[in-house]
Amino acid sequence: MARITIDPITRLEGHGRIDIFLNDQGTVENTFFQIPELRGFEQFCVGRMAEEMPAITNRICGVCPEAHHLAATKALDRVFGAEPTPTAKKLRELLYMAFFVTDHTTHFYALGGPDFIVGPDAPPSERNILGVARKVGLEVAGEVIACRKRNHEIITFLGGKSIHPVAGVPGGWSRPITEEERSQIEDAARKNIEFARFSLSIFEKIVLKNPVYLDLVTSDIYLHRTYSMGTVDANNQVNFYDGMIRVVDPEGNEFVRYDPSEYREHIAERVEAWTYLKYPYLKKVGWKGLTDGIDSGIYTATPLSRLNVSEGMATPLANAEYQRLYETFGCKKITAARYEPIHHRLATHWARLIELLYASERMLELALDPEITSQDTRNIPAPARFVGEGVGSIEAPRGTLTHHFVTDDRGVLTMVNMIVGTTNNYAPISMSIKRAAEKLITSDAPDESILNRVEMAFRLYDPCLSCATHFLPGKMPLTVAIRDSQGGMLREMRRKG
Amino acid sequence: MKASRLSETVIIGMGNRLLSDDGVGIAVACAVAECINQRVKLTVKELPSGGIRLMEAMIGFKRAVVVDAMLSGVTPGTVQRFDPKQFVTTKNTFSSHDTDFATAYDLGVMAAVPLPEQVSFWGIEAGEFDLFGERFTDEVAAALPEAVSRIVAEIMEWEEAA
Repeated sequence: MARITIDPITRLEGHGRIDIFLNDQGTVENTFFQIPELRGFEQFCVGRMAEEMPAITNRICGVCPEAHHLAATKALDRVFGAEPTPTAKKLRELLYMAFFVTDHTTHFYALGGPDFIVGPDAPPSERNILGVARKVGLEVAGEVIACRKRNHEIITFLGGKSIHPVAGVPGGWSRPITEEERSQIEDAARKNIEFARFSLSIFEKIVLKNPVYLDLVTSDIYLHRTYSMGTVDANNQVNFYDGMIRVVDPEGNEFVRYDPSEYREHIAERVEAWTYLKYPYLKKVGWKGLTDGIDSGIYTATPLSRLNVSEGMATPLANAEYQRLYETFGCKKITAARYEPIHHRLATHWARLIELLYASERMLELALDPEITSQDTRNIPAPARFVGEGVGSIEAPRGTLTHHFVTDDRGVLTMVNMIVGTTNNYAPISMSIKRAAEKLITSDAPDESILNRVEMAFRLYDPCLSCATHFLPGKMPLTVAIRDSQGGMLREMRRKG
Repeated sequence: MKASRLSETVIIGMGNRLLSDDGVGIAVACAVAECINQRVKLTVKELPSGGIRLMEAMIGFKRAVVVDAMLSGVTPGTVQRFDPKQFVTTKNTFSSHDTDFATAYDLGVMAAVPLPEQVSFWGIEAGEFDLFGERFTDEVAAALPEAVSRIVAEIMEWEEAA
C-alpha cells in the first residue's frame, strides 16, 4: 500500500497535511487530512474583559476579521442583555455585505476561478489571478482591484478602522453614517451588482458552456450527500447577518431549525487523536465516521449548503440565478421556492457567485433604507440586564461562525468557545479529498493535473485553517505524501501556487 | 531634503501583535516613524496578511518599505534586507486566500495602478510565533534597534535623492 501526501496548499490559510495511503494494487485505501496546529486562542482570552473580544477575535484571521468582529459583538449583546437598535443592526449588516463582496470576489478570481478559467491542467505558475485576467481580458484586473477598493473604503469608515473594525459595541454600533457616506455606499452597491452579474456571465461562458468543465462539476468525483446548514431569516431565506440556524437532510427535508444560542443541543464535536481540529456533527443523528448519507451526522456549512436550506433568495436577481442553478442540475422543487439539495461540491463556486450578487443587492437595499442614517445607533447596556453569557452567530463566507462567551459577574471571561466556518466543514473536506483521490489516483505516481484535482476538492470549501485551529495568519504549507500500506514514505510533494 | 510635504513613502508593518515575534514588523514600522517623523512625512500601515492587500497598501506611494517576521532558519533576531527582484516571501507577505506578493504586484501593473518606484523588504528572523503573547523573545527584542536604524538610513537616503 502506498501513501500520498499533499502539501502544496499555497492558496490556503493555516496549516495542514494530506496523507493518502495506497494499497498493494496502487489504488487509494484511505486518506487523512490532518491539522497539526493548535494555538488555543480561546484560552488566551479567558481572564480578559468581555468587551475586549470584538477587538481581539478579529485578529484570529487576517482574512475575515469582519466576521469575527460581528460574531463577538453579537455575543456581547447577549452577555450585556442589550438589544441593538434597528439602525445598529442595519449598519452592521451593511458593513458585512461590503465584506462579503470583497471576500467572494477575491475567492472567485484568485482561488477557485483559476482552476476553471485557466484550467485544472495548467501549470500552477499560470493558474492564478494573472492567468484569469489573461484569459478573460486584462481589464478584469482593474475591475477586481476597483471592487476591492470601493468596498474596503466603506468597511473602513463604517467599521472605524481599516482591516480590524472597532465600531461594534454591545447594544449597537458606535458610528452613525452621514448622507454623503450613504450616497457613496449606494453608488458602490450599484457597481457591485453589475460586477457580480459580470462574474456570473464569465462563469456561464467559461464553465457552463464548456462540456468538459460541466461534466467535471456534475460528475460523482466531487459528490457527497450530507446534511446542509445555513442561517435563515423569518421567511427561511438565507441571511448572512442574523436569524435561525436551519439544517436540512440530504433529501432536503428540514431536520432542525434552532436559535444559535442552542448550538450545544444540536452540535457535538468528535476528537481524533491524529489531528487537532475537531469534527463537528449533528448530535441527534450521531457520529458514524467519515461517511455521508442520512444516517451520518456530518453536515456542510458553505455557500452551497446555505442555498440548499433557503427558500429561494431574498433579492430578485440573486433569486433568478438561484433558480437557474438548481434547474441546471435537474433538481425538483420540494417547496414553493426550494429545490432538492445539490450535493455536487464544485457547484459551491457557482453558489458563491450567487451569494456575491445577493450581498450586492442587499447592500443596495440597506443603503436605500430611510433608517440607515439615523443617529439612534445604540442601546446603552443597563447593569440590571447583565446576563453574563452570550452566543453570537453569523454566516462567515466559509460557513456558520459561532462565538460563545461566559463571564463572571464583573464581565471577566471565564469560558470562550468558537466554532468557525471551516471547522464545520472538516469532515466534508476530508471526505471530498478521499473521494477525489479514489477516483483520480490509480497509481502511486500521479501527475500534476491529478494532484490539482485533489486540491480542488478542498479549495472549493475556501477553507481557512488559520481560523479553524484558531491559528493566526501566515503562509501555511500543506503536504501531500504517498505512503505504502506500512506507512513507509514513497513520495512527498510540495509546490508553490 | 524637502520637509513637511505630503507623504510619498509608506512603511508597512506586517504580522500580528498578539502572536509573540510575529508582531515585530509592526513594532519596527512604528519605531521607524517615531524616529524620523520630524524630518520625513511617513505613512505607517499595519497589515495582518499580504498578497493583493499588500500591493493595494502601496498604491499611490512613490516608495514603500515592508517589514515582517521571517522564518528562514537563521539565528533568531537576524535582520535581512531583500530587493523586490530577489524577494520570495517572508512570513506574512503571502496570502493563502489570494496570492503571493509578486503575483499581486504584477496584477497591479496589469491594472495600471500607480505603484512605488522603490520597494524594499526587511525580514527579522522570529524565534517564537506559535504562542499567543504580546512580548518578543529576547533575541528579537535585541534586534529592534538594528532594524530601525538600518531602515531609517534607507528612507533618509531615498528622501535625499528625491
